[in-house]
Amino acid sequence: MDVFGRKERRWRSPKEKEERSDTQTLRDKFFYFRLLVFVLFGILTLQLMRMQVFQGEAYEERAQNNHLRYSPTMPSRGLIFDRNGAPLVENVPQFSAGIIPADFPKDREAELLPQLEALLHVPAAEIAAKVDPKRDSKDPFTPVVIKEGLTPEEAFSVRALENRLHGVEIIVDPVRRYTLGSLVSLILGYVGQVTDAQYPELKSKGYEMNDRIGQMGVEAVYESVLRGQPGRKDVEVDAAGREIQTVHEVLAKPGSGLVLSIDLDLQRKVTEFLQQGMGSSKNGCAIVMDVRSGDILAMVSLPTYDDNVFTNLTDEQYRALNDDPAKPMVNHCISDTYPPGSTFKQITGTGALQEGVANAGTTITSYGSISVKNEYDPNIVYIFRDWAALGTLNFYQGVAQSSDVYFYYLAGGYYQDGVELFRGMGANALARYSREYGLDAPTGIDLPGEAAGVIPDPDWKEQELGETWTIGDTYNFAIGQGFVATTPLQMVGVTTAIANGGDVMVPRVVNKVLDATGEEILRIDPKIARHLSVSDENLATFREGMRQAVSWGTANSASIPGVSVAGKTGTAEFGPDLGGGTYESHAWFTGFAPAEDPEVAVVVFLEQGNGAKNAAPLGGRILNYLFHRGG
Amino acid sequence: MRTEKVSYIRSFDYVMLLSALALVAFGIVLIYSGSLANYASPTDVIEHPVARQVAFAVIGLIAMFTISRIDYRLLGYTTIFLYAGALAALTFVLVAGQAIYGSRRWIELAGTQVQPSELTKLILVIVLAKYLTDRQERIGQLTVFVTSLAIALVPMILVFAEPDLGSAVILLAIWLAVVIMAGARSAHVLGLIASAAIVAPFALIAVVSDYQRERIATFLDPGKDPLGSGFNTLQAEISIGSGRLFGKGLTHGTQTQLDYLRTQTTDYVFSVLGEELGFVGVVILFALFVVLLMRGLQTASSSRDPFGRLLATGICAYILFQVFINIGVNIRLVPVTGIPLPFISQGGSSLVTLFIALGILQSVSTHRGPPEW
Repeated sequence: MDVFGRKERRWRSPKEKEERSDTQTLRDKFFYFRLLVFVLFGILTLQLMRMQVFQGEAYEERAQNNHLRYSPTMPSRGLIFDRNGAPLVENVPQFSAGIIPADFPKDREAELLPQLEALLHVPAAEIAAKVDPKRDSKDPFTPVVIKEGLTPEEAFSVRALENRLHGVEIIVDPVRRYTLGSLVSLILGYVGQVTDAQYPELKSKGYEMNDRIGQMGVEAVYESVLRGQPGRKDVEVDAAGREIQTVHEVLAKPGSGLVLSIDLDLQRKVTEFLQQGMGSSKNGCAIVMDVRSGDILAMVSLPTYDDNVFTNLTDEQYRALNDDPAKPMVNHCISDTYPPGSTFKQITGTGALQEGVANAGTTITSYGSISVKNEYDPNIVYIFRDWAALGTLNFYQGVAQSSDVYFYYLAGGYYQDGVELFRGMGANALARYSREYGLDAPTGIDLPGEAAGVIPDPDWKEQELGETWTIGDTYNFAIGQGFVATTPLQMVGVTTAIANGGDVMVPRVVNKVLDATGEEILRIDPKIARHLSVSDENLATFREGMRQAVSWGTANSASIPGVSVAGKTGTAEFGPDLGGGTYESHAWFTGFAPAEDPEVAVVVFLEQGNGAKNAAPLGGRILNYLFHRGG
Repeated sequence: MRTEKVSYIRSFDYVMLLSALALVAFGIVLIYSGSLANYASPTDVIEHPVARQVAFAVIGLIAMFTISRIDYRLLGYTTIFLYAGALAALTFVLVAGQAIYGSRRWIELAGTQVQPSELTKLILVIVLAKYLTDRQERIGQLTVFVTSLAIALVPMILVFAEPDLGSAVILLAIWLAVVIMAGARSAHVLGLIASAAIVAPFALIAVVSDYQRERIATFLDPGKDPLGSGFNTLQAEISIGSGRLFGKGLTHGTQTQLDYLRTQTTDYVFSVLGEELGFVGVVILFALFVVLLMRGLQTASSSRDPFGRLLATGICAYILFQVFINIGVNIRLVPVTGIPLPFISQGGSSLVTLFIALGILQSVSTHRGPPEW
């Protein structure tokens, strides 16, 4: 066979040879074709192995991101009640129109935008400007809010067209409604959107850019209590953005409720009285405090604002509120400081008694003024006036008549030709007592934006002004003029401490925390900031002085039938000399009742006026209402 | 007569038939899964893609058996009519066809949409095989080479104008495969490839429509417009990648079932496979294709008749490149073109054409003796 074969090959004709080489090339070609099949499928296999095996996990994540959308579910915010259980806020649904940019087809904008414009009265160009840039952003699935606060009719008509308006949806948010509007707005504050400035810090606490947060008042201070715990919902969506099913859900935990110390009925009356008694004042304040607990029963600052406007505040509205010279968004009771005038004598008086520079029997004669020679140039004489030549006064009379000269003596002493005729307690001691009473620092009330005020002393003056303290500074200090600045809240705190026997209370507006069903879960105990170093005997002496001030003295207009009131007026001069030594003045009254067994303290402040004429009568009306309401 | 029947039954390629049937079955399962989202309630069974696909498979099988009994050499006498018919149909599509997804590819025929470009691919195989077989001795001449190219170019241009870039590329690949197998000079082939490489960039600017340019641009960077024309490419890639080794399970692909894939029963049916059956499913599919193509090439190489050899070669090239380009599109190896995956994609034109092609292959392997007419 082998030989035969070889022999045959030897005898191949040229034509045969050609045919053979043809067969050979054909075989080669089929070999290469088969090879091509394997090469091409090999390429595909390699690429698929890369995608499915090596990068599969990353693609799987992208597929997950595609079809799973995480949406937070917001808990219902805790409600707020007054001390008697009257509701102060409600949560109501608000409808907004939103667009999911990814689902809002660009090529159909020309058709959809005019429809939306007609429905919502938002210009088509404005909608396009909001949606277009988000479509290509990293997160085209978060709805862009086109219009907030839709009327139910608008919401209904958009919802009816939701199937045709691809990507458009109605968002329902619970928003706060403040049932009483401006009446308690400065205490409650409001809930608003997280601002750009706040966001970086809040992000770590689980807030989202569109979240709402308490921005002022109790809403801000008790945010963590009121907010609750947001839940989350993982929803499976199809390519058109329709929800297919809920994959995973963590229910939101509703926020806790709060019971305020505020007595709504009293708050309403105090507001009414203050409005009637404001006169030409730009601002007015009144605070009623329970002297045993530090509970704020009423706190009114005028003018005020309606916190409901913050639900959908326009820039214009905000600017109008912000630029108003009377500063309606500022709680003047706690955030603004004023010279306290003669109400400051509560500190000078009790301090002097405790320091032993005076007692109930100490008599001082007011000739209408005292003069002080300049230490370096005796030709310059400063005159410190009393409001009248009140004659010889004992301690009670000094307080009741609010003699400035009497209190100049108690604080600064009296010198004639370099001889000390009466030894005063001195500015440093007065400053020390002031701080004991809680001045020069925030009281610690559970409201934001509290001011500290100013208590001057020689070190302070040296530091702040670079000047040496003079006897004149001490005299001004003694009667709450000059550099002294306090908030109305601080002053009612001073009166409270005198009334309750020396406990400086931490004022508060929230008494209890309730769970979502309204059950009490926490009662907040009264807190005493410190006990005064002034003995109760000395406080009693001063209380008697205040009682006399109301019964026959400068604060007589605060007296009411049936209950004995103790009080102190103040008329604090401020601003430039209007000529002839007259100034504009703030009117103050601070007092407590009943005088023999104090329950409540009250402070009234009017930006313009006279303590005895304007503030004290208002104090009387408030106390009268408090003790005689309901019969 | 009896011996003829025995030789037909003996020489019939059952492995080829079985692998094709397996592919069709595979495809029907994928079409079922891919159409769940759109045909949730079985109200109209007749209209259901699965029912239609089964019907077309039956029609295709009948056509295959019928053609396999006919001696393929008879085809050689019909080439002029086939060619003229194909050109007429392609022209008609351009003038009066239905535009879907921005291109005119379909004509309405007896209530169904027919895509003439599918049948054109097979017709080109037949026409080229016949032309080159008749000029076997002169294959080295440039005129023969160029004429064969011209035969391919006319339908290519018509298909390209639809526009259907993918099918045009397939036609070119068919021509190349057949002309090389017929013995064209390598100098001619290489010269053509070199000149094409020079002209291509200019052609891209001048001839390619915005639609195709956009598709090529998004192929290069699908992230550029993730919600627009890049959507399909990106979602297909995510679908396949997320299937990982074993897939998410049939009917459990999130991408497929939640409508992230478009044309998931036709051009992107491979993505359904990749997502739901994973790499393992992909390898099984590839194995079936490789078996089918190996049998086809076996038919080609064992045919002693040049016409049969060229027919079988052209058909194998048709199937191979159609598979490669379709899957290449799905996995972002090739710019998007929109051609069906042979035997798998939903669509009667493609499936029936493929069964006719299988019938021709079977005819080549069963008719080895002298002509029987």
